[in-house]
Amino acid sequence: MAEQLPLDFDFRANQTFNDFYPGPNQEIISHLQQSVIGSGEQQLFLWGATGEGKSHLLQACCQLAQQQDISSFYFDLSTPKLPAPAMLNGLEEIELVCFDNIETIAGNQAWELAFFNFFNRHRERDHKLILSADCPPQLLTIELPDLKTRLNWGLTLKLKPLSDDDKIAALIFKADQLGFEISPKVGQFLLTHYARDLHGLWVLLEKLDRASLAAKRKLTLPFLRQVLSETTN
Amino acid sequence: MSAIWTNCLAKLENEISASDFSTWIRPLQAQEADGQLTLLAPNRFVLDWVKEHYFVKLADAIHEFSNGTLDLIFEIGSRSVTPQVTKVPKAADGKKAGPNFLNKAFTFDNFVEGKSNQLARAASMQVSENIGKAYNPLLIYGSSGLGKTHLMHAIGNAVLQHNPSATVVYLHSEKFVQDMVRALQQNAINSFKEYYRSIDVLLIDDIQFFAGKERSQEEFFHTFNTLLEKKHQVVLTCDKYPKEIVGLEDRLKSRFSWGLPVSIEPPDLETRAAILMNKAALVNVELPQEVAFFMAKRIPSNVRDLEGALRRVIANAQFTGKEITTEFTKEALHDLISLQDKLVNIDNIQKTVAEYFKIRVADLSSKNRRQSITRPRQMAMCLARELTSHSFPEIGDAFGGRDHTTVMNACKRIAELKEADSKVAEDYSNLLRTLSH
Repeated sequence: MAEQLPLDFDFRANQTFNDFYPGPNQEIISHLQQSVIGSGEQQLFLWGATGEGKSHLLQACCQLAQQQDISSFYFDLSTPKLPAPAMLNGLEEIELVCFDNIETIAGNQAWELAFFNFFNRHRERDHKLILSADCPPQLLTIELPDLKTRLNWGLTLKLKPLSDDDKIAALIFKADQLGFEISPKVGQFLLTHYARDLHGLWVLLEKLDRASLAAKRKLTLPFLRQVLSETTN
Repeated sequence: MSAIWTNCLAKLENEISASDFSTWIRPLQAQEADGQLTLLAPNRFVLDWVKEHYFVKLADAIHEFSNGTLDLIFEIGSRSVTPQVTKVPKAADGKKAGPNFLNKAFTFDNFVEGKSNQLARAASMQVSENIGKAYNPLLIYGSSGLGKTHLMHAIGNAVLQHNPSATVVYLHSEKFVQDMVRALQQNAINSFKEYYRSIDVLLIDDIQFFAGKERSQEEFFHTFNTLLEKKHQVVLTCDKYPKEIVGLEDRLKSRFSWGLPVSIEPPDLETRAAILMNKAALVNVELPQEVAFFMAKRIPSNVRDLEGALRRVIANAQFTGKEITTEFTKEALHDLISLQDKLVNIDNIQKTVAEYFKIRVADLSSKNRRQSITRPRQMAMCLARELTSHSFPEIGDAFGGRDHTTVMNACKRIAELKEADSKVAEDYSNLLRTLSH
């Protein structure tokens, strides 16, 4: 089995709905967009495995909000050091708040209580709240019952994983977004030999884009093998 | 949005990672006036971070797009259209001092009554018609998500309907604490006291959060006494009977129980189905009765869980344009149902019941006919019927290969005993609550 490549540069693609390959998740995109522009749910809970695009979608919601002149705030709670819960003060005034990896606060008493109070203040104003986690709300190990029942209150959506065929289609889609073409064969090769999670694939794709631009060559299989063997060496 | 700020955003979007941009730059709101561009951060946390990490980038961008005509200022604040409602209300001009925080959507009319909540509803209606006279304080207690807050708002809305000039205030206990802390900081404790002691109907939600906050308890104790002396109405909710709250002063526990403490239990199957149909009707969706019963059977816990599941079904139906049938609902709730099956199955029902009655799990499947064993066995069978999708014969098999008629009789017997014996009703309700959360 081929060894996966370490990929060590910052992927800086825009995280918008246009950059997201919908695959089997078109319904989720529709609910998120409706919520942001005001005609949808007040509270959404998005869950799925790591690397399936939760962070991308939450940031896409903020980008859409910005286009609509709606104030927004995104925060990834899986930061190495969780900030003091006082960071929640005042966020109730923000019309769209997105918290990524909400499972991180489970079991942290101070955070659970502060988040419960923030939740009530924010909801009182009818502002939108979008949360993501790696499991459904029922399986979160939240200890404060009042918070746990509230997380179950809104519309819960499961991000469906992409099949390998979908991943190849997603690679082709993403390459097109970046302004170059890859064939299904190249897609299949990348998937078989390198990262299988989407984030890893996107990072790889951007690296290949840069290499192809620098060498002024198309992304053919031989060129791909050459670039990737140089990376491993 | 300021054109200069829009240009700055477009520039910075390409210089900062998407995640950092959404966290630190997007929440900033720009206001342009008198040669200054003020960036409003939602709180101190964002403000400090932005100043430390992005000050130079922001200042450069603003300088570039304003041709050096604007100075950059940072402040905490919001240009949100939502009125700031967290200030300590002033009572200087008498009553109508602050917002009442009532949600008009919560009324007695749309509160679905069942056996589990009928006493609480009746007491709440009494209170709304006889302020300060019927039950004072009225204390509604029960687990999270069963409708306590709905009843509180319903009382407030009904009072205002009968008497629009009454001062009614709903607030969460945490807001009382926050207002008090702010009043202390602003040296305005007297106006805080004056305000809260002049309210005709004070509705305080989740008083368990007063636990451990001594100064707030002290202040609330005096507010409470003054209101009761003036025969103004106090309504409280709590997630448990107040005497069970750790960290609450005894004198408060005792005062809270002076009036009428009423409990709300988890809704029974019929009430859950009625709640679902009622909630669906509120958003103009007709939920077929058989679908409502199917969902009610599969989601046995609290009203918020029911609402969450209903949202899923409606959202899915609206997206796909399909009719809501039982088959469609099964598919839409497939994940939720499989999860529920994993969380509540006959094995953990038997384990929970055995622990509750301090017997062995094996006793439930044994041939032992002592009442100390048969009653828990009947209860476990009945719970298995209510909380799982297993048939009578399957449940019988799981209890030592008993006949399906034994399970049917057990369910019938428990239903009768719940009516006749309050201890059995309480045990059943406790077990249902434990298994559903």
